[in-house]
Amino acid sequence: MAGPTSSNYICRYCRLPSDPSGVSCPNCGAPIDVKAAVSDSGWVEQPAVRDMARLQFGQSHCQIEGALVPVADFALGAGEGVVFSHHSLLWVSGASLEPWSQGSFFTRALSGMPMVLMRASGPGRVAVSEDRPGEVVALPIPPGAGFVVREHTFLALSDGVQFTWQNSPVWLQIRKGDDTEYEYPLGPFLDMFVAPGDRPGLLLVHCPGNLFVRDLAPGQAVLVQPGSLVYTDTSVSYQLHAEYPGTSGLSWRSYEYRTIWLRLTGPGRVAVRSIFERPERYAGIVGSSPMTYQRW
Amino acid sequence: MDRLECQWCHSQNPPGTTTCQTCGAPLNVANVVSDSGWREAPRLRDMAKFHFSNSTCQVEGELVPVAEIALSSGDSVIFEHHTMLWKEEGVPVGVYPLGGGLKRSLGGMPYVITQAAGPGRIAFSRDAPGEIVTLVLHPSMEVDVREHAFLAASHTVRYSFERIKGLANIIHGGSGMYLDRFVTAGEPGLVLLHGYGNVFERTLADGEKILVEPGGYLYKDSSVRMQATQLNVRTGLFHHGMYMAEMTGPGRVGIQSMYHHHASE
Repeated sequence: MAGPTSSNYICRYCRLPSDPSGVSCPNCGAPIDVKAAVSDSGWVEQPAVRDMARLQFGQSHCQIEGALVPVADFALGAGEGVVFSHHSLLWVSGASLEPWSQGSFFTRALSGMPMVLMRASGPGRVAVSEDRPGEVVALPIPPGAGFVVREHTFLALSDGVQFTWQNSPVWLQIRKGDDTEYEYPLGPFLDMFVAPGDRPGLLLVHCPGNLFVRDLAPGQAVLVQPGSLVYTDTSVSYQLHAEYPGTSGLSWRSYEYRTIWLRLTGPGRVAVRSIFERPERYAGIVGSSPMTYQRW
Repeated sequence: MDRLECQWCHSQNPPGTTTCQTCGAPLNVANVVSDSGWREAPRLRDMAKFHFSNSTCQVEGELVPVAEIALSSGDSVIFEHHTMLWKEEGVPVGVYPLGGGLKRSLGGMPYVITQAAGPGRIAFSRDAPGEIVTLVLHPSMEVDVREHAFLAASHTVRYSFERIKGLANIIHGGSGMYLDRFVTAGEPGLVLLHGYGNVFERTLADGEKILVEPGGYLYKDSSVRMQATQLNVRTGLFHHGMYMAEMTGPGRVGIQSMYHHHASE
């Protein structure tokens, strides 16, 4: 039986034409020879990038090393670079480092985002890693396409990818004494990464825990814990949903029972991680972005 | 016809199965027991499936596993509501009727156990790397679990909490103030725990004692007595008391290798 050839093989994880002859996808590092691990409900488990798998981008490549807290080790071609946050730098050899900013540095600084980004340029090597056990997920971005990513999860991105942000579409107004505060279940901003129109880009994110991906059909929705969101396609819409369990007569302090969900509605790809911070209770909500309610 | 007995939960499985249908443990992997007698809880295979009542549980992921439960009509699970990772919108949730909840709440310990009923799907996970331990409770069994360590339990299990006895145990015990107690009556039940790091278990003979780090304690049979004990450790001039949990058999004791001090809420 003829196996897939490089002309028709599409990697299941990065959805790009790929080469089936190796052991891992050269675009995203996902193993090629594994069966898809799909749960009965339709979530696809992102397979861990195999130790020492290589990804190619431009004239540079990136090797993912380790399994518990993987390191992304870049061998940069001349004139090429990667951008990362300075606290994830593990080591550098040969590559030159400089501060990097794109767009309105000032607004970002005002919004309290850790905006000390660095760029390492080749020729030379540089390696980055995060400080929690988890997986490095490589998201190759087709020319002109993009992803919406939870803030502070990005590990590195290739030269030329446009890194902007948008205000979080979901928020709550909380009354605390005489003050009204805003709370952001996804953080105040979402990172947006868009590849340039003429070439693909590479985005690496660090995902604590395991990552699960699914495709939502147009109008299909799923409720996820806001803290577990990692990335979505730009076509996915976000909404809050408050769910109150039936209390059989007990109504006191019912906010403690409430769950604030994030409803993701297709079309598009959504990814959640299995590890998330314990959700806030958000006592005293007086306003919010559009939110639906369910009282059982 | 030969049946395969699961080494973990002792349920019987039809020949040819590689995963226990009751607890998800691999059947074709030998028991791993250390020289000192601790037995490693079986690592559930990715996507392992097992059953309780008419429902199915599937465990996904290896770093921080997710328990995804397909509830059939008439079945339900109980859980702490902040462990829900995702759910289908139509799955109803309600508050599990719990005696003494008011007392606990007044004491500043918000504690609500939520119940989700089938049909539909719901998934749970916790906030640090570890493994899911399935405790299959045969009828008339009783286990005590460290507070805030359970991920979900089937509706056939009766849940309550026990205050840990003795002021010294509470203050110095490091195991929290309460134990979660799971009891089965006539029907078998399933309790899913999330252990931080790796989980090990041993069975103590009647009267046999072992000291464990209180933060490492994960579960025990109710027949095992737990008592905080002070060890005399001298550091220079200072006389420093160090507390350990003394477990006295008979019964099983389960510990986790990465102990995690849960906030009490």
